[in-house]
Amino acid sequence: MIDISNLTVKFGGVVALDDLSLKITDDVVGLIGPNGAGKTTLTNAFSGFVNVSSGSVSVNGLNLIDMPPHKRTRWGVARSFQKVQTVFDLTVEEHLNTVLDAKGASGQLREKAIVRALNFVGLAAQRKTLGVDLNPYHRRMTEIAKCLVGAPRIILLDEPGGGLSESEMLELRRIILGIHPEFGAQILLVDHDVDLIRDVCTSTVVLDFGKLIAFGPTEEVLQDEVVKAAYLGR
Amino acid sequence: MPLRFDIKNTFTLVLVLAVIVLFPLLLSSLWVKVVTSALIFSLAALGVSVVFAQLGLINLSQIALVGVGGWVLLRLNYATELPFTVMLVLGGIVTASIGALLALPALRMRGLYLALVTLMAAGAFQILFNAFQFPNGGEGFWGVAQQSAGVVRRPAFAQSDANYLRYVISAVAICITVVGLHRYAAPGRAWAMTRQSEANAMAAGVNVTFYKLWAFALSGCVAGIAGGLLAGALQQLDARSFLAGDSILLFALAIVGGVYHWLGAIIAGLLFKLLPALLNDFGLSADIAMVIFGAALLHAIMTAPQGIAGQLIGAISSIGKKGSATDD
Repeated sequence: MIDISNLTVKFGGVVALDDLSLKITDDVVGLIGPNGAGKTTLTNAFSGFVNVSSGSVSVNGLNLIDMPPHKRTRWGVARSFQKVQTVFDLTVEEHLNTVLDAKGASGQLREKAIVRALNFVGLAAQRKTLGVDLNPYHRRMTEIAKCLVGAPRIILLDEPGGGLSESEMLELRRIILGIHPEFGAQILLVDHDVDLIRDVCTSTVVLDFGKLIAFGPTEEVLQDEVVKAAYLGR
Repeated sequence: MPLRFDIKNTFTLVLVLAVIVLFPLLLSSLWVKVVTSALIFSLAALGVSVVFAQLGLINLSQIALVGVGGWVLLRLNYATELPFTVMLVLGGIVTASIGALLALPALRMRGLYLALVTLMAAGAFQILFNAFQFPNGGEGFWGVAQQSAGVVRRPAFAQSDANYLRYVISAVAICITVVGLHRYAAPGRAWAMTRQSEANAMAAGVNVTFYKLWAFALSGCVAGIAGGLLAGALQQLDARSFLAGDSILLFALAIVGGVYHWLGAIIAGLLFKLLPALLNDFGLSADIAMVIFGAALLHAIMTAPQGIAGQLIGAISSIGKKGSATDD
């Protein structure tokens, strides 16, 4: 369970997140909002990349706010970035190994974790391929596989659908829906693609100007007049 | 990753041993000295490559760290009875800690600003070396006396210059192996990810601070070993040999040689020390080397980002491919 209480993040005079409180129990949760609504700031507050002015972010009862970013990852916060971060001179396997190095996984467990994650995202054949030789879809899948190794507790996916084709999007839906049953992690999905959110998220959070404007079952939220006005521009 | 003794590794090992045994026999006594110091500066260039190729950071204090390693070895030489190799390792360790200290600004800065900070540090060491000189067997902590320098103990089996060159080749091979093993282990992966983006590395659980310090410490360690080897080779060090500006030159030559392969560091060392000596031998001014370096740097930046080493390896592998293609 994710418990965000009175979370405020300021950049100088700009209030990026304004006294946000939320309790999220669903397995796959969407996070939407217009540009500048504070979606990425919220994921960054989870990861520890921004200084939080006040409030707390807890996962399964543990307050993450005072932990440095790399320790949060080791504890079980995984994330992918809006801009794919594949390293050109590392193989797919080495990407996953970096995460497992940090989490202190040993020999056999490591091998198992890598095989499981790569099979899950369909990258088994690319295991030894260098980042530079991967196509954009495989790069995206490498990012997701990185989130899956080493027993994640919560996975933040920041626009994982960016730049993918129609058929690749179908595959992505299947993968996102499969993560919780297979790996047990709770997923927070940030995306502009309302269809993707509708298909995979049981509930959805809508932010606008750093404030929570709607939260509930995805279908209801997307029909909400306030949300339509703010987000869909109607 | 465990080191496997496959054919390629065995071949490399045999090649290194052959070089150690045969190479010094081919050189006259003057050239033994020149090649020794060229290889020593290869080691310093190797340290530059670690930080630049793996982390994408520029460290312009490498020559100063060579001086630190040399200072520590000379200090130990006159103060203790320790064997040379032990002093060398201790010099490496002390210099590694100073290298890590220099990394502290690197935790906050990158690019030009970090380069400037490290250059200023190199300048500070230049002043310190000038003020306190290198120990030559005198009294007190600084160990400097108005006398001709004492003797730096060399390893028992490396008393002659030719054997000392063999010792240096071995040391360089060991350092290249240690640095190379980093590439395929946790530090190498953590560095690559940090170079891509620090946020990305932290999101992968990498302790960025720790691994940055590690890279600078490793770089400092090989610089310190280079300094110790230099003290053993020359028997005495001169403060004027450790100018801050030379670190810039070494960095530039590391780029020319190629930072992504150990061969690049060897080429950088040869350019740094052997080329000026060769020009002298041909009766030309050694300053012509600077003109050649400038042209080579332009060439590297514009057309060969992998340096001369990258070009050589590319050429060899394309010959190999052609060979195997005709076999089919």
